[in-house]
Amino acid sequence: MDSILKIEHVSKTYTGHRALDDVSLEIPRGSIYGLLGPNGAGKTTLIRVVNRMTIPDCGKVIFQGREITADDVYRIGYMPEERGLYKKMKVGEQSVFFARLRGMSKSDATARLHEWFSRLNIEDWWEKKVEDLSKGMAQKVQFIATVVHEPELLIFDEPFSGFDPINQDLLKREILALRDRGATVIFSTHNMESVEEICDDITLINKSQNILSGSVDEIRRKAGGNSFQVTFSGETRDFIDAVNGKATLIGPAQGLLGGYTVQKIHIASDDDIRPVIGLLNEKVALRSFQEIIPSMNDIFIRAVNGTL
Amino acid sequence: MNRISLLVAREFRERVHKKSFIITTILTPLLMIALMVAPSLIMLGGKSNTKKVAVLDRTEGKTIMQSLQSGATVVFEEAAVSPDDLSAARAAYGSDSWYGILVIGSDIVDNTSSLQLIINDSPVMSVDEAIQNQVQDAIRQARLARYDIEDMDRILSDANVRISSIQTLKNSTADDESMEETSSDISFALGIILGMMLYFILIVYGSQVLSSVIEEKQSRVLDVMVTSCTPTELMLGKIFGIALVAALQIVIWAVLILSVSAFVMPALMSGSTMTAGAGSADIFSHLTSVSFMSGLFLELFLYIVGGFLFYAAMYAAVGSAVDNPQDAGQFNLIIMMPIILAIMVMMNIMNNPDSGIVFWCSMIPFTSPVVMMARIPFGVPVWQVAVSIAVLFISFFLMAWIAGRIFRVGVFMHGKKPTWKDLGAWIRMK
Repeated sequence: MDSILKIEHVSKTYTGHRALDDVSLEIPRGSIYGLLGPNGAGKTTLIRVVNRMTIPDCGKVIFQGREITADDVYRIGYMPEERGLYKKMKVGEQSVFFARLRGMSKSDATARLHEWFSRLNIEDWWEKKVEDLSKGMAQKVQFIATVVHEPELLIFDEPFSGFDPINQDLLKREILALRDRGATVIFSTHNMESVEEICDDITLINKSQNILSGSVDEIRRKAGGNSFQVTFSGETRDFIDAVNGKATLIGPAQGLLGGYTVQKIHIASDDDIRPVIGLLNEKVALRSFQEIIPSMNDIFIRAVNGTL
Repeated sequence: MNRISLLVAREFRERVHKKSFIITTILTPLLMIALMVAPSLIMLGGKSNTKKVAVLDRTEGKTIMQSLQSGATVVFEEAAVSPDDLSAARAAYGSDSWYGILVIGSDIVDNTSSLQLIINDSPVMSVDEAIQNQVQDAIRQARLARYDIEDMDRILSDANVRISSIQTLKNSTADDESMEETSSDISFALGIILGMMLYFILIVYGSQVLSSVIEEKQSRVLDVMVTSCTPTELMLGKIFGIALVAALQIVIWAVLILSVSAFVMPALMSGSTMTAGAGSADIFSHLTSVSFMSGLFLELFLYIVGGFLFYAAMYAAVGSAVDNPQDAGQFNLIIMMPIILAIMVMMNIMNNPDSGIVFWCSMIPFTSPVVMMARIPFGVPVWQVAVSIAVLFISFFLMAWIAGRIFRVGVFMHGKKPTWKDLGAWIRMK
């Protein structure tokens, strides 16, 4: 795998509190990578380690194949959870300042920023002072300031917090577009819906440890663990007889309008899936047979509770 | 454009565009002028307020009353009642238009304690003093008159010597003619002004660095900044940015004050104050000579720059280490201590401008800007000034290095207030 960033056995202990415990993960180039975990799990600490804002007690951060340096950090676009902008400065002036600080020329920065401002519908804020903006508005400005110099690696800490659903959608689209143009995006979030929608891969951190890593599709399929939802018409007793020995029932059968019944089952062995379908087909009238793919929300809760 | 100059430009623009900058820049010189002019205005106003005193002179022939001389402060009038009738006098002169009644005992010439002043309102120190002096002179005259010496007045005025000024020369050149004139009073006054100026600049602009760093840390702008530039660049950008603001402000003030003192003050002060200082005119001309002034301005400039940079680095380090202004208090106190010590030493310069403590305090960078500036009007060997300035600038680089190391760790620390031990560990950290 071509990875842009590798974190190898990173640990960090603050006085009496272990913030990261031997965390390793690998972020594929050109992907959108979700960093999930409950509050206080260590997500922000991990991000700060990557940005060299926190020095780990042990472990390494490998960026583009070698250990990360201060100069690399300046090529990362970072949007912290607690947004930081100069309150007294005007929006446009401030955005140009940040862009130039990251190496853009003044004219280049101004032109590119105007593009971004019109794309996010905030063109008329250019002359406003930051202190006059609402939280969500300031966040849009911060987002633009983070991405305008087109860094290869972008790190967003909770990018969706404070946004209304419309702007969340807008932001998601922009993040996807950034990836399509070749950037790698890491973001931490509690918003599981956004993970399902835009993340290619995730890592779930709980109690300072990496408890789950991988591609979102794989994780969801695995977490489903050969559970299926079957919709049929016919006697429930016949259904139970048919699958007996090959599959176990999950919960009671549920009646649907129109005389259909829904039953969730678990098939232990992949080899039994086809025979079960065959047997069921003989006894009842099958309407649908569908693998249950759990939501990231379920996976999150089960993983954190240790029941995955 | 490199990152530091971008940071400096941002800091400068933001501060200069603030309303508070424009207001303080205009108001401060007005305030200073008001402080300079107010005392003379108050004195002018005070003079018109002459107090009237009724005198009950119980001496034989009323000799004391005859010698009392009314002046601008107090006017003596003989009471129109019998000198022995105090209650009648109290009734007659009890109104507010009279300051009070002066009762002079019959044996006043031998017994100076038989003097009484009964006043109608609150006592006024200058009036009481004037009365005392007048009575004292009257008694002296009465006592002298007893000796009955011929030509007494002439002898007295001849023997009454008063030296109003002493020409003080500096014994530095071989040539008698070219010795420079000097004066401890004027040197001291100028020294105090220069020293206080340095003190003011270090404290005011230094603490601007402190609060600015804390503010950015609180608003989390620093989190974004430190992923865009190194902490050292950030710190230097801030220090130099504020230094430029300070420079601009000081230049504006200098121009305002100089133009005001050149055109407005002479008109205002004409007559009274200017002629009073006639004896010191030579020294003024020396102090305002081009060579002395240009040297002074150069030294002032170097000490302002060096002192500010040195202190600003310390303030920046403290600002980076704490989360809020309250936590900064303890560290701020430690920074202030040498400056306060410098002020104390400065007051001591008058007694001995070349004492050991004054010398060392004008060399050590913590106190040298204030103490050396206050010493310079007394005449300081050039090598001392040169060494002191060199030490100050070398110390700035050292302090900036130490501060940079604290800053580099401090800006990322949130929550717990660091201890001295923590700061030490941050400096040593690789």
